[in-house]
Amino acid sequence: MPYLGSEDVVKELKKALCNPHVQADRLRYRNVIQRVIRHMTQGLDMSGVFMEMVKASATVDIVQKKLVYLYMCTYAPLKPDLALLAINTLCKDCSDPNPMVRGLALRSMCSLRMPGVQEYIQQPILSGLRDKASYVRRVAVLGCAKMHNLHGDSEVDGALVNELYSLLRDQDPIVVVNCLRSLEEILKQEGGVVINKPIAHHLLNRMPKLDQWGQAEVLNFLLRYQPRSEEELFDILNLLDSFLKSSSPGVVMGATKLFLILAKKFPHVQTDVLVQVKGPLLAACSSESRELCFAALCHVRQILHSLPGHFSSHYKKFFCSYSEPHYIKLQKVEVLCELVNDENVQQVLEELRGYCTDVSADFAQAAIFAIGGIARTYTDQCVQILTELLGLRQEHITTVVVQTFRDLVWLCPQCTEAVCQALPGCEENIQDSEGKQALIWLLGVHGERIPNAPYVLEDFVENVKSETFPAVKMELLTALLRLFLSRPAECQDMLGRLLHYCIEEEKDMAVRDRGLFYYRLLLAGIDGVKQILCSPKSDPSLGLLEDQAERPVNSWASDFNTLVPVYGKARWATISKYQGPERRGPELPNAASFATSGPLIPEESKETVQELPDSGALMLVPNCQLTAEYFEKTWFSLKVAHQQVFPWRGAVHPDTLQMALQVVNIQTIAMSRAGAQPWKAYLSAQDDTGCLFLTELLLEPENSEMQISVKQNEPRTETLNSFISVLETVLGTIGDIKS
Amino acid sequence: MIGGLFIYNHKGEVLISRVYRDDIGRNAVDAFRVNVIHARQQVRSPVTNIARTSFFHVKRSNIWLAAVTKQNVNAAMVFEFLYKMCDVMAAYFGKISEENIKNNFVLIYELLDEILDFGYPQNSETGALKTFITQQGIKSQHQTKEEQSQITSQVTGQIGWRREGIKYRRNELFLDVLESVNLLMSPQGQVLSAHVSGRVVMKSYLSGMPECKFGMNDKIVIEKQGKGTADETSKSGKQSIAIDDCTFHQCVRLSKFDSERSISFIPPDGEFELMRYRTTKDIILPFRVIPLVREVGRTKLEVKVVIKSNFKPSLLAQKIEVRIPTPLNTSGVQESQISAEIELLPTNDKKKWARPPISMNFEVPFAPSGLKVRYLKVFEPKLNYSDHDVIKWVRYIGRSGIYETRC
Repeated sequence: MPYLGSEDVVKELKKALCNPHVQADRLRYRNVIQRVIRHMTQGLDMSGVFMEMVKASATVDIVQKKLVYLYMCTYAPLKPDLALLAINTLCKDCSDPNPMVRGLALRSMCSLRMPGVQEYIQQPILSGLRDKASYVRRVAVLGCAKMHNLHGDSEVDGALVNELYSLLRDQDPIVVVNCLRSLEEILKQEGGVVINKPIAHHLLNRMPKLDQWGQAEVLNFLLRYQPRSEEELFDILNLLDSFLKSSSPGVVMGATKLFLILAKKFPHVQTDVLVQVKGPLLAACSSESRELCFAALCHVRQILHSLPGHFSSHYKKFFCSYSEPHYIKLQKVEVLCELVNDENVQQVLEELRGYCTDVSADFAQAAIFAIGGIARTYTDQCVQILTELLGLRQEHITTVVVQTFRDLVWLCPQCTEAVCQALPGCEENIQDSEGKQALIWLLGVHGERIPNAPYVLEDFVENVKSETFPAVKMELLTALLRLFLSRPAECQDMLGRLLHYCIEEEKDMAVRDRGLFYYRLLLAGIDGVKQILCSPKSDPSLGLLEDQAERPVNSWASDFNTLVPVYGKARWATISKYQGPERRGPELPNAASFATSGPLIPEESKETVQELPDSGALMLVPNCQLTAEYFEKTWFSLKVAHQQVFPWRGAVHPDTLQMALQVVNIQTIAMSRAGAQPWKAYLSAQDDTGCLFLTELLLEPENSEMQISVKQNEPRTETLNSFISVLETVLGTIGDIKS
Repeated sequence: MIGGLFIYNHKGEVLISRVYRDDIGRNAVDAFRVNVIHARQQVRSPVTNIARTSFFHVKRSNIWLAAVTKQNVNAAMVFEFLYKMCDVMAAYFGKISEENIKNNFVLIYELLDEILDFGYPQNSETGALKTFITQQGIKSQHQTKEEQSQITSQVTGQIGWRREGIKYRRNELFLDVLESVNLLMSPQGQVLSAHVSGRVVMKSYLSGMPECKFGMNDKIVIEKQGKGTADETSKSGKQSIAIDDCTFHQCVRLSKFDSERSISFIPPDGEFELMRYRTTKDIILPFRVIPLVREVGRTKLEVKVVIKSNFKPSLLAQKIEVRIPTPLNTSGVQESQISAEIELLPTNDKKKWARPPISMNFEVPFAPSGLKVRYLKVFEPKLNYSDHDVIKWVRYIGRSGIYETRC
């Protein structure tokens, strides 16, 4: 990069520009100017030749004029006094007989970013707005916005605004769209351009004449229009129907968003629209324009959040080809993970399994994580695949599989047994920090079921001196202490060694402090350690269930066709957080109003549901195994403590329900088969004080209600209420998923 | 709204840089180079956020084009704009390469000045743009009367994509049916997924404001027409194709397509894309790859590939390429018996248990979807030339998209 020595270059170019011989020869003159622009492009400071360039603007050569104007727009803020010299030429050009020259001059003049230029451009803009050539009018309309920006967002010129509103009726389609853009910027403080009924209908009628950019822009502006009646609403939707089939994917997406927003009170219309754009979206997803394909895939994922079955029959369209770019493969894997259902799970898993051995380690790991995600619903099949992958003995695979196992055991405790059987031998193929942490955690928490757990941990203890990651050492301390509680004989000696090392030799303060902490804790007695280390943890499982519940279309409709689906909601929140209110995009003021209206569940109520298991006094213990006989005996010996009905539609999927209940530690004793009438289930649970909850669920199809009867062996109302609310949450969530 | 547009070569040197909005500074140019072009790992996304500024990029050969914005824009639209930008440039100087961009840099700045103003897309039709771009030669201050009136009529006209008063001595049109056939086949020879994405590109040199009507063997149309004559249905019914979805150029009257499924339009002058479509049923797969892979011991791999063509012997396929990825350290490769060119690509594949698929490239002179152009009628009521006087050319090209057989 020729960043250095710019002074010499400037000197030389200055000389050339002043040379009368060069000036006399048009081509040579233009060549020198081209060199100036070339250096400018590369980032050299070329402001030194400003004077000479201003002189060069007085020419009949249009190409030369364009180049000089480009130069002036770049450096005018640095040399405002010299730039004023050019104004004269520009003003003269603004009344040139050639519309192209007029437009060029006006556009350049409005783009000179320097103080004091406003007084010179006001008159040319006003006459430009009334120019007979639409080319000039287009430029003048946007010039109004540029002028307003120069003023620093101060007062709004009412007369100018009125003139722009009247130009919305201009013959030329681009002038119309530019008017909207210009008004939007000028009226930013007041919430942007007003779209009332006459304007909305006028724009709708002009839509077919606009090009794709104009159509996309108008569709975006129409978002803020609220039809007065249902009839008007459907008239508008009818007019817009053809844009759902536009050849421009951007217009299709824009039209889809407008449909979703306008029909926010008509869920069936929304679903209908999403069905209609399925074809165009799938086409975009398999298009050769990779970047567009990427954007489309991001939006497919967005739709899947609300309609998980929407693309399920097209799952093969989301299989990855070897030669596709990385970013498309990663998106497709995410999509596959989300559209999986009972019919296609076999094929999807088979496909994902193929990716796990891909040459790209990155992609392979993404596929394994995806299988881990599917495992939350189809646990057994996935755990089997993951276990097989361990057999490949590849470092990058083993580490991710073990991490997946850790999350899975935490979320779906029923697979603990299978995971524990798969673990032995893994330690040989794990080298990175994340993988080691996961493995050590598993060995600590479930060590009593893994025969060689102490020996694996012993290896880690032996090599602790050469361990580079402090996080691994921390995990090792906690895990070993946990294992010590369940298998003291095998662990006592090495725990002593580890603590000694951590306290006496370790240089990382956090690890040292953790070591000291555990040491002092042990001094306080084993019971104390047990209470602190092994007391029940907050239960993540209800969060998991909430996660699976579908989000209503209205919760994301206002984000559709923006950058939010591309970046993800969380990331976008951090990106946009720092952008001040003055940088607000045109949609923001509306977005707030969309979020509050519409028939969606308010966000707050969801949160309270999630907090319940933590805040209540109730703590159900995980391994309450009652035999059926004992249950029966207890059931008949007790009286019903609580009875209520719960609204329920359709049949029950016993497997789903059973799994959901299991994650909140409610055991299923017996359950009717799917579709049985009447349908019955018996459940049992026990809290940490030993209180038993026995439950009967009875579903009689004709009155679409689920009857819940709960019996308790100790009469305590507050825990009973907590238990019932947990049960309701589970049933409610399952009911949501199903419908 | 686009804040700025940058073009880089593969080294990350800026070839073109145009800033439209104040909020994009000069440092944005360097930020993209450092974070994306010079990044060590593969590109993670075509949309990159650096310091709350979004960079949208596309690559053409080894040229990077990046659009920059601080606003919450529509990603699809920005990419479409970049594609359009590439198309416009290609229409002016052909392939987008470093050399061409350097040679045409004045022209590119001129274009950027016309198609974006204050960051908003303006006119982007190549045909319409030609009036404003003065690249070739120095034009005098006083243009001829005709040129001036062209500008005014072009910009006031009701039809944005065509100017009035176009005259040709010879009325001629070219129709290209360009298809790309995509296949993903399992090792057992089972089609996992296959689709054709096709485009009908028209190049028209027609005088006046011609009204055109385009017909093809669309199943729905054929069945509709066939109702009267049952005989014909059975004859042509076999050859009709089911189109999954299609989209048209702005000039096509969609209302007519929806009601009668007829495609009528007034075409832009010069080249444009009339229609884009996708089919997934009854695709003629031009080639079938049958891989036979045997691992003989730990260090030897035997790959036998049988390729069968699936079209008339009178048709000739071109540009055939079969890629059989082999490990880097492969030795003793034997090529034999197949007359087509075989390219053995070394891959950076270190693990022998992950076998990349065998892929094919080719070009065939027919449409793998089975699409046939039945007619293209031209009516120009004001000028005295009829449909018969127009010279028409139709060409079918089927290319491979992603055509992979796993092994």
